[in-house]
Amino acid sequence: MAAPRGWRLARQGRCWLSQAEFSAAPTPPDSLYPPIVASATAKSKAAKRRRLEHFYQRVHEAASIEEKLRLYGLLQRPKYMVYPQTFAINADRWYQSFTKTVFVPGLPPRAAPEPAGAAEPGGAVTGPGPAVPEPAGAAEPAGAAVAPQPAAEAAPDVDLDELRSLACDALLQESFYQNKKRPFLYRDQDHTPGPFLTQLVSLLAASLCRRNPLLAASSLDLNPEVNYYWHHGEEVIAHGHRKGRVDPVRFQIDDHPRLQIRVPKQLPEIVPLEADLGNVPVIDHKPSKLPLFKKQYENKVFIGSKVADPCCYGHTQFHLFPDKLKRQRFLNVNLEDQIEVTYRANGIASLFAWTAAQAMYQGFWSEADVTRPFVSQAVVTDGKYFAFFCYQLNTLALTVETIRNNPRKNICWGTESKPLYDVVEDGDVKGFNDEILLQLVQFLLNRPKEL
Amino acid sequence: YPLFQPGGPQLRIFRPDFYMVLVRPGVPQPEDTAQFRVSMEMTKLDIRNYLEKIYKVPVVAVRTRIQHGAHNRRNHKNQRIKKPDYKVAYVQLGQGQTFQFPNLFPEKEQTPETRSFDEFRKKYFEKELQRQRGDPRRGGVPDWFGL
Repeated sequence: MAAPRGWRLARQGRCWLSQAEFSAAPTPPDSLYPPIVASATAKSKAAKRRRLEHFYQRVHEAASIEEKLRLYGLLQRPKYMVYPQTFAINADRWYQSFTKTVFVPGLPPRAAPEPAGAAEPGGAVTGPGPAVPEPAGAAEPAGAAVAPQPAAEAAPDVDLDELRSLACDALLQESFYQNKKRPFLYRDQDHTPGPFLTQLVSLLAASLCRRNPLLAASSLDLNPEVNYYWHHGEEVIAHGHRKGRVDPVRFQIDDHPRLQIRVPKQLPEIVPLEADLGNVPVIDHKPSKLPLFKKQYENKVFIGSKVADPCCYGHTQFHLFPDKLKRQRFLNVNLEDQIEVTYRANGIASLFAWTAAQAMYQGFWSEADVTRPFVSQAVVTDGKYFAFFCYQLNTLALTVETIRNNPRKNICWGTESKPLYDVVEDGDVKGFNDEILLQLVQFLLNRPKEL
Repeated sequence: YPLFQPGGPQLRIFRPDFYMVLVRPGVPQPEDTAQFRVSMEMTKLDIRNYLEKIYKVPVVAVRTRIQHGAHNRRNHKNQRIKKPDYKVAYVQLGQGQTFQFPNLFPEKEQTPETRSFDEFRKKYFEKELQRQRGDPRRGGVPDWFGL
């Protein structure tokens, strides 16, 4: 009959509200009566609070990580889609405010390396990239290669010539020797810089495997997907059947880096968990003024592989800009300052999504904040210019309630974009920049201290 | 104008016959954003060129939308009256410029002289109205007829 079947369907759809789950409140031992708690079904603030607490408890007590992620992203509502590769003006400041990230120019100093006795070739290339961050938070730009380190920081004893020849080989193969047809319209990046980046990273990772055992156990993903979903801030719903209610602002990042290296062991922390290296920019306006647009779809949290994969920590990501964000386009409309903004926005958003997803894979979420920092690195490039980023995730608690008494901030270190080479002509790479290569090598050789 | 040859300088001036109205935003906008009501036929490129060439304003980004005018008012014959549609443009300014729509009707500060002048003016107008009202004992009936 229709009536009992309809009742059964309605019951199944709302079975999460069954009294059986709510009636598990613990009774104090010295009382004969059940505890007095707020109703679970009334239209009151106390009832809403109790339902929320019940939901948090369900997520805390989830049997497995997959179940926890499923419950975390269960409710679908319209959310802002945050694109790491964007041409929006001043996007990096907005992204910093969404993710509670402090941006520190320059890269952090590497930990004291193992004593490499021999002087590295070309002594002027001492510790490029890493700069000493001052306590006030303002660090020098990475271009200052003459920053004197107290512990004499020798470059790792790698054969730079061999790696330089590998890089030049990859570049020449893709752009000079291989006979390619003309690139399709607006597909220049997939024609030459894309394959070059893939080849370069594969070759470097393979040749540095013997130096870095972590790379030997790593997993190199091609065109992986990285997703993260989070709440930050509150807003009043403007129109619709839920008009007037106060709702958290939801964000989703769906990122597609070109390449990604995942490792089974986590990278060491750069600064302590409670470190304060600057201020997070505060933007009072709604995210839609960036402009950012809302859509409702699956709330996905993904690092590039499923939870059961042993390589569940991130090492390095490599991003390639599409044709829409090429340097020449910005120069044509006199927007030179926005070029660096695109690099920074990409670094911050992609790395936040990746590190936060890694933290969720370990069972942390906004109500259960991380107990150890998660560190990852990224290289953002448009084929010729490279920018390096380091991210340390200190907190996942970005919702309205959890951010109130949370002094921790996420930190992102980043450099400006510098060219790897000047020009390729007649089978020769002119103006090859060793600093960029050395920085890339240092990134790939980064590993926990035990190894 | 001399005849235009390709590659030569563009000496002709084309004056557009549409205009833009700078309006106060209904919802708070970022500091570098100005809000305009523009003609429905203008495009983003038109708006950018208009501001850059005529007013020398550096424009970084233009976003437009068309606002539908309400169509549910009724006149005395119960016919539906439509408010006209218009296009709204949000213009982001370049070179770090910011714009805040000014307060066009600020509160006048009340010095003792202005206050006393306002009271004097109020009393004068009251006296004028009183004079035109006529005898209150007649109960509003005009006095150009009868007793």
